[in-house]
Amino acid sequence: MSSGTTFIPWIRKYKPKSLSEVVGNEEAKRKIIEWIRSWEKGAPGKRAIFIYGPPGVGKTAAVEALANDLNMEVIESDASTYRTEEAVKRFAGRASQYGSLFGMKRLIVFDELDGITGSADHGGLREITEIVKSSRVPVILIANDAYDPRFAVLRNYCLLIEFKKPSKSEVMRHLAKICAKEGINADEAALKFIAERSGGDVRSAVTDLQALAQGKTRLTYEDVAWLAPRDRKEEIFNVLRMIFYAKDASSAKTAVNMADVDLDMLFEWIYENIPYHIKNPHELANAMDMLAKSDVYRRRVKETQDWTFLRYVIDLMTAGVASSWSRKSAGWTPFKFPERIKKASISKEERMLLSEISRRIGKKCHLSSSRAVREVLPYLRVIFQSNPEMAKEIARWLDLTDEMVAYISREQ
Amino acid sequence: MWTEKYRPRTLDEIVDQEEIVSRLKSFVKAKNVPHCIFAGPPGTGKTTAALCLAHDLYGENYREYIMELNASDERGINVVRETVKTFARTKPMGEVTFKILILDEADNMTEDAQQALRRTMERYSETARFILIANYSGRIIEPIQSRCAPFRFTYLSREAVIERIRYICKGENIKILDDGIEAVLELSEGDLRKTVNILQTAASLGKPINAEVVYSVVGRANPYDVREMMLTALNGDFIAARSKLKELTQKYGLTGIDIIKQIHNEIFRLNVPDKWKVKLADIAGEVDYRLIQGATDEVQLSAMLAKLVEAGYEIKRGL
Repeated sequence: MSSGTTFIPWIRKYKPKSLSEVVGNEEAKRKIIEWIRSWEKGAPGKRAIFIYGPPGVGKTAAVEALANDLNMEVIESDASTYRTEEAVKRFAGRASQYGSLFGMKRLIVFDELDGITGSADHGGLREITEIVKSSRVPVILIANDAYDPRFAVLRNYCLLIEFKKPSKSEVMRHLAKICAKEGINADEAALKFIAERSGGDVRSAVTDLQALAQGKTRLTYEDVAWLAPRDRKEEIFNVLRMIFYAKDASSAKTAVNMADVDLDMLFEWIYENIPYHIKNPHELANAMDMLAKSDVYRRRVKETQDWTFLRYVIDLMTAGVASSWSRKSAGWTPFKFPERIKKASISKEERMLLSEISRRIGKKCHLSSSRAVREVLPYLRVIFQSNPEMAKEIARWLDLTDEMVAYISREQ
Repeated sequence: MWTEKYRPRTLDEIVDQEEIVSRLKSFVKAKNVPHCIFAGPPGTGKTTAALCLAHDLYGENYREYIMELNASDERGINVVRETVKTFARTKPMGEVTFKILILDEADNMTEDAQQALRRTMERYSETARFILIANYSGRIIEPIQSRCAPFRFTYLSREAVIERIRYICKGENIKILDDGIEAVLELSEGDLRKTVNILQTAASLGKPINAEVVYSVVGRANPYDVREMMLTALNGDFIAARSKLKELTQKYGLTGIDIIKQIHNEIFRLNVPDKWKVKLADIAGEVDYRLIQGATDEVQLSAMLAKLVEAGYEIKRGL
């Protein structure tokens, strides 16, 4: 393995070269092609498309692949460049009116449109709108949320195309292709785990895969499922010991920095182990309370995207838990592996199935999915277990698949 | 399912709720329906009344003139902006000049979506009338409420429910004993949907329905009920209570919000001093709020269980 090739990020190495290689989103891709073809007969009604969707689903990759397919020259601006009225005009004003110097077809792309700010990019959106209205070359806009009120005017002049999260199996297929090219023999379960963890974010899935599999010839479920803890079980145990049995609040806090442990993972370990170490009811309630508060801050980090809140997450899950009890060990108690993580991968599949079942029940019975789960499914389980005749009729009426019927009929 | 098989199709078939039915019939007669809010507890006929109204108004093909949306499943603003608007803005063919949009569980809509809805209701009121269905009308924003005729659904009378049970049993040719009827009434708490579901499940065992059959199927349907989880915690076994919680979320697919609602329902039925009931309700309120904010279900609910462990311990010590 030569170091020269090793460190190319796979996400770049396996970037789709053609639109057809972009993972999933068949409908969106079809719409893009239709629109770009319509330019052959002169400027169409909508001179721009507005591609939107969550991060890592291939929006930018699709546009680059499209340009590659059609051999187009791309004029691109992303959040890293200033996009004031002036800047936009300079960058795209001329380009949108005249053909390319070399006779290539041209494509104007405004990527990461969410990143455009009112103050630093003053007048930028208005100017982009102007360009979209009158452009003689195709314009593509990309953002996470096309329905941001700031885009209200701009939206009117664009064909909206949504990129959705690819399904788990689509992500898996993509990972499998990469493994094949890298000469890695990967277990399906391992790829499934990575795909699942990514939640439809292809970019993060490929990055994870590279971190876990690069340089290997074989990738097993064990390699990935235990992610951090496999190699670092000892490390985690030490950190836990230092938190649960800390000498004082500060040393509980510093335990986190002693090892490179993923915070969410550490949180799960603490959550799992609290009741096995802290038995006194008052202390238990206090410790759980601290952890629950830490969880609230965790949520705030996500919500505000402000990572400085992490310090409170850490304070409460370490010092908070430590200070809520006497820290007198009642003999040796081993630390347990967090169950929530072990189980998550099983129940997610079931969750998908369950949500489809409940959707079908809800539709027929005029209920929301969540009420169908609560109010109808429990009875269906009993009926399916005790009366196959009646079950068959109901299954037909609800249009349930065999898999769904098996799931409902199964003893819990 | 019997809930659908025996769902009334016309306003005439609706049992009880006489006042509401007669007002709705007057709409049919006038061939005009205002925007409406149907509010009331679950299983009291709100959705049924909306569907029957549409049936009587448009005739057998009423499905072509209505759209049914469930706001819990599609609660975002985009649905209002797209689906609802597209439906609302075109005029239907035929004698009645408007369509009806039935928005079930409307109290679960976000405030933004409700604001958007309010505009849509106004703008397209020529071509579309809205029936908003909710458990609590209080969660529907004032400007919408003021545009709607309010209908308050109440629990069906005991007699009406018994009559319905007998009617279904006759139709299905099954035998039900008096103590069976009593048991169904007790467990279904005035909710007709639940009544019919319990009845069908009991009937699926294929023997005459008595109290024992009813209790056993309901017990099987809800094996790890929330109450049992709470009692386990009160008795001091946090680890066992937590596994029951996991079971509820992982095997039975309940969400944290479902569970905290049920916990709250149970608190005042627990055999604990009043002081603790109030304290626990306060804690439940905090957990509920955090869950709505997006905190982790299991962590927050476990913290609640730890409080129950603490409560049980203090109560035993006479505090």
